[in-house]
Amino acid sequence: MSEEQTSQSNGIPSKKVLGLFALAMINVAAVLSIRNFPSMAVYGWSCIGWYILGAVMFLIPISLAGAELATGWPQGGGVYAWVKQAFGEKGGFTALFCEWSNNLVWFPTVLSFIASTLAFALTPALANSPFYMFSVMMIAFWGTTAIAYFGEEASTKFGNVGVILGSIIPAILIILLGVWWMGSGQAIVLPPLTLAAMVPTINVTTLPFFATIVLLFAGMEMAGFHALETRNPQKDFPRAMALSAVIIVVCTVLATLAIAMVIPANQLNLASGVMQAIEYFFKAAGVPWLVGPMAVLITLGGVVSLAAWLIGPAKGLGIVAEEGNMPPLFDRTNKYGAPVAVLVIQALIGSVISLLYVFLPSVNQAYWILSAMTVELLCIVYVLVFASVIKLRYSQPNTPRPFKIPGGMIGIWLVGGLGMFGTIFAFIVGLMPPSYFTTSGFVYVGSVLLGTFLLAVPPLVFLKFKKSSWCKPAGGVR
Amino acid sequence: MSTFSRLEVGLLIFLIIVVVLPFGLILVIAEESPYHQVFGEPVKEAAQATGITITSVKDTTWNLPGAIGGKTYVLTDNAGEVVTVYTQSFDSAQSREAAIRLYNAQPVGRGKPVGSLVVLGQHLVYVTPANSNILKNLAPELIKKISS
Repeated sequence: MSEEQTSQSNGIPSKKVLGLFALAMINVAAVLSIRNFPSMAVYGWSCIGWYILGAVMFLIPISLAGAELATGWPQGGGVYAWVKQAFGEKGGFTALFCEWSNNLVWFPTVLSFIASTLAFALTPALANSPFYMFSVMMIAFWGTTAIAYFGEEASTKFGNVGVILGSIIPAILIILLGVWWMGSGQAIVLPPLTLAAMVPTINVTTLPFFATIVLLFAGMEMAGFHALETRNPQKDFPRAMALSAVIIVVCTVLATLAIAMVIPANQLNLASGVMQAIEYFFKAAGVPWLVGPMAVLITLGGVVSLAAWLIGPAKGLGIVAEEGNMPPLFDRTNKYGAPVAVLVIQALIGSVISLLYVFLPSVNQAYWILSAMTVELLCIVYVLVFASVIKLRYSQPNTPRPFKIPGGMIGIWLVGGLGMFGTIFAFIVGLMPPSYFTTSGFVYVGSVLLGTFLLAVPPLVFLKFKKSSWCKPAGGVR
Repeated sequence: MSTFSRLEVGLLIFLIIVVVLPFGLILVIAEESPYHQVFGEPVKEAAQATGITITSVKDTTWNLPGAIGGKTYVLTDNAGEVVTVYTQSFDSAQSREAAIRLYNAQPVGRGKPVGSLVVLGQHLVYVTPANSNILKNLAPELIKKISS
């Protein structure tokens, strides 16, 4: 077998096509989003404080934990492989399934963002047509699924180009315009920078936002799903984590501040859209002709983000099926090594949910509850990941870890504990209904918890009915 | 050609049902907000009814297709809490639904969108921050407007 190939248990070779840059770009695609900039710019200088909180309570812990786990257990499957080592198949499968099922709720929102941003570049009124919205959403969804069908090499090429064009270049453009704005002596709408201005206000009214900030950098574990296709996981994962974290933080903080310096907070009405804020920004900077091209690039950024979240957990489920924890029906891999059955089932379910999202009227309250469920599901994933990195230091202390969280047991407890505290906090606050909700608090909390339970429980059912015939013998023939 | 056992097909159906079930359940539980004409200035009237002070009002039109104008209120209560409330009317159910979709499509990271969006007939009412006492006090009055 060539050095560039490894054989999966099904006998289909998986090419080792991923290096440091490609791995980093997977994380950047999953996490860096222009959508966040106007939302954070509203907070002025205090966005710096919020970003620091997000970095300390989540970004740094998940990057360090991900690096240690990915280098210690680079078997593929990402969170599944890591949590399985610590808590067995039930834990690993549950963590992975929560990551996959929360995507199903998230897909319609990102698809809707893609369609409405593209409409902004074409004719904004198109966004009012459910038929336009659904058509573009389906083209983006099935198109991304088709790219995933052609395996890691095609996905990587698309991802690398897409993340640079759709996420990094727009962010750099916004930063450069902000620098030009300051340099050309234009009025800066922010008050003078002081230490006090950077400190975020934390009280009962801002708690939900605080919880949101904790998960602002969710997705840093995405590269872990691609371990089987990575040339040198032990060396490349930690460096990719560091590189992606730096790109994400620098682009996010500077671009947010650029927007905050140009657009008055009262003009950043978030209900009226990210592209509207971008349009205001570019018009103020004297380059209104850039709005259309930016809309196209941001659309591409949305598609690349979709691709990163669509492919990673699906690959993980493919591994679970391959290990015999799901029926052979789910374990269909094509000649490119892509888990076609999982991809198709995911695309079908996602399409049905998108259809409901677009065509059912007045889904505002319903969608709020659904997005609360996605937060809870993600929190379950991250609590399990942080618990795993701590437990594995005790249960498998001698497993070689080319990257180890520094500081020994104190370091692991500090990093894992901080991450767990942040995600448990986000889980609890995620159960708080917004003050205007007409549905009673009990019904709200009950709905969120029941929905979260239903979306987390299928692995236990699959494992209950697991049959020995689902496992492939060596050689890959059942 | 492979065939699937009953168990496999059953588990596939179970998976689809279990995954789609929460969506159906929540869509049934959550209250509808049909598009209809709500007259007057609901936020101003609700603020007056609950003793909340309006410190400033400005006319605004959101840069969205179908948006036909609204107000930006800055409200304050006796405890000194300050919230900004943006209202906007829409010319059709479709344009209002598109604005709701747009709001829901803009979460921060993988979380929820910033602020709260209340649907009130042809109006959308956007309040930030999401969990304020002022909104808690305004909400029952705004709900009366929906039902009246």
